[in-house]
Amino acid sequence: MVRTRTTARKAAVHATALAAASALALSACSGGGSAASSAEAAPVATDRDIELSLVWWGDDDRASRYEEAVTLFEEKYPNIDVSTQFQAWDDYWTTRTTEAAGQTLPDVFQMDLAYIHQYASNNQLLDLSSQVGVNLETGDYDETLLGSGAVNGGQFGVPTSTNTLGMFYHQDLLDELGVEPPAEGLTWDEYDAWIREVSEAGADHDPQIYGGGDYTGTLWLFIQWLLQQGKTAFAEDGTPAFEKADLVAWVERTQPLRDDGVFFPIERTKQVEPLTGMQVNESVTELTWDNMLAGYAAGAGTENLGLLPVPTGAEGSQQFWKPSMLLASSANTQEPDAAAALIDFLVNDPEVGKIFGTSKGVPAVPAQKDAMELEDGSIDQKIVTYEEEVADRVTADTPLPGEGYGVVEAEFKRLGEELAYGNVTAEEFADQWFQSAEANLGGQ
Amino acid sequence: MSATTTERGRQAGRGSARGKTTQSSPARGGAAKPPRSRAETRAGYAFLSPWLLGFGLLTAGPMLMSLYLAFTDYNLFRAPEFVGIDNFTALFADPRFLKSAQVTAIYVFVGVPVKLAAALAVALLLNAKHRGQGAYRSMFYAPSLIGASVSVAIVWRAMFIDDGVADRVQQFFGLPGGGWVGNPDMTMPMMILLAVWQFGAPMVIFLAGLKQIPAELHEAAAVDGAGPIRRFVSVTIPMLSPVLFFNLLLETIGAFQVFSSAFIISGGTGGPADSTLFYTFYLYIKGFTEFRMGYASAMAWVLVLVVGIITAILFRTSRAWVHYTGDVR
Repeated sequence: MVRTRTTARKAAVHATALAAASALALSACSGGGSAASSAEAAPVATDRDIELSLVWWGDDDRASRYEEAVTLFEEKYPNIDVSTQFQAWDDYWTTRTTEAAGQTLPDVFQMDLAYIHQYASNNQLLDLSSQVGVNLETGDYDETLLGSGAVNGGQFGVPTSTNTLGMFYHQDLLDELGVEPPAEGLTWDEYDAWIREVSEAGADHDPQIYGGGDYTGTLWLFIQWLLQQGKTAFAEDGTPAFEKADLVAWVERTQPLRDDGVFFPIERTKQVEPLTGMQVNESVTELTWDNMLAGYAAGAGTENLGLLPVPTGAEGSQQFWKPSMLLASSANTQEPDAAAALIDFLVNDPEVGKIFGTSKGVPAVPAQKDAMELEDGSIDQKIVTYEEEVADRVTADTPLPGEGYGVVEAEFKRLGEELAYGNVTAEEFADQWFQSAEANLGGQ
Repeated sequence: MSATTTERGRQAGRGSARGKTTQSSPARGGAAKPPRSRAETRAGYAFLSPWLLGFGLLTAGPMLMSLYLAFTDYNLFRAPEFVGIDNFTALFADPRFLKSAQVTAIYVFVGVPVKLAAALAVALLLNAKHRGQGAYRSMFYAPSLIGASVSVAIVWRAMFIDDGVADRVQQFFGLPGGGWVGNPDMTMPMMILLAVWQFGAPMVIFLAGLKQIPAELHEAAAVDGAGPIRRFVSVTIPMLSPVLFFNLLLETIGAFQVFSSAFIISGGTGGPADSTLFYTFYLYIKGFTEFRMGYASAMAWVLVLVVGIITAILFRTSRAWVHYTGDVR
């Protein structure tokens, strides 16, 4: 059989495949509730064999680091066997959702701020509070940082590391063009003017070099900008705490640069995906999370990248720590004690800190951070130095995303692309995003 | 098709002398059939059971469930909540839904005719007598074997980016350059080209159809003074119309379900600017990225309905233009 489409009946097959998943999910869902989570925490058993599953998102590099860490864990707990699995970000969440519906989430798995509310408020995650002090030590954590894993009074996740936003710049390209890097602490308007200057200098270059990409479609940057205006992003219930006019203002302020073709063009952006303009050596700056620096260096083929704070607004920098790579456990795990012990090992053990370096961000626990071996001029060192230097610019509380954030973030990015193609106006951008926010934020 | 083969198999199994006559009328002969024994019936169902189970549990059951879910608000986590026809009314107020319907409609109504024309043209070429015709047939069929694969979608993407094959060809002919992948106006032609390139399956069927046309019809027409074009229009097309109809149906239904190539080429976004946001793709996004299973189920049933209606229309119109050998009108 070369082609399997044989009859008209098959028209429905595609729909059926989806339905199959949901039907199975539905029947499993009636199980409901969480049995294991309420059990009393006891020190992890050593007199019997225990099997744990550990799942994360990431690439091969991260996988080999995790494997190394797991080997250490299994040496410490000879009776525990950890089976591992990893996926890319998008597939990761599809699989986890299906598992959640079937009550078969892994014993320990990576969790993101964008999803923790959804999983926790639907009783999918183990409340680790009772494990604290028994199998899980959280004494070395900064309180607000630990708070990022708390939902409705329970501790449903523990962050591994912190990120903060930063501005990367490509020193090699700047040398070629003979332009100075952006000044530290420049304002958004100054940054825009700087981008314009570089793009003009790089216009005759082959391939053309741009000062930076269109950052308007990144929700986190908008949130950062909002904080700098003295506003808040989200209300307690997860709904937007800002006005449509704020969003329109954000979108409109970069319009002249789009009109003049100063940003790294969207056509090119779509073609080099999943790489970015900077990673193909055609764009000089990019605003993103600081732990991405290693990936950018690998893409651009040079470690000669600089790291600066994000542009400032009326109220200063107002940068914030974003807790990242939380670890969570399934509400249905048979081994809550061992699961907590594994999380404890991954976030606290100094050796593990050494293995991961800053690849997941700067470790949240000082013992891990201090254990890192920082070579002079290495990417790890740049990130750690950056986070130390930027610390006094970090003055805002972390805007914690609620349920549905992942969806509205994707919508923001999509609208940013439509904007770059000139398909929507600033008003339409704001209208459509608020529509999506209404449908997805604040629970239903 | 399957009914005929099982009937044939059953008769052959009975070892009756009538087996020989079934060649001409395989599905007939019910009058003289001896009553089936219970045991035979049971054995029949036993042999069918893998398929029956699969059909019931993996096809019919889930389909019914999705019909129910289409009227609910369901996010996989919480139990479905009945919302009546809200999902359906929301669909038609959703600009991205309308966009996905538009994208798919263009793909089907432009892509399918172009693909069939290409398949027919190649079939006509391969129907002529040349040396090494067998080798050509295999070669022209090859793209269809691999066309739906992930790797081809990746290669396709690579061909249509800046400085890719397509860009160089354009530049060679002095046309404005630039990749197609990042240009929302050019992604649809790119997707249609990918579909057309996989003309193998309809081509093989056309080729079989062409072989069935009796040579004497062409000869008679030629004797009457008809040129090649006239013969094509007045002999080949009418004689080929059942095959054409069959291909049209299959390709139309298939085109509505396009998913994986768009998913790969757009990097899972349906972009740029939603220009490759095919219907099934948007359905996937709603169901598995936004976890709105009720909404996705509603979309699935709208698709089933639309495909059903279009199939019915095709069957209706076929009376006017499809000629079966032996039909008396």
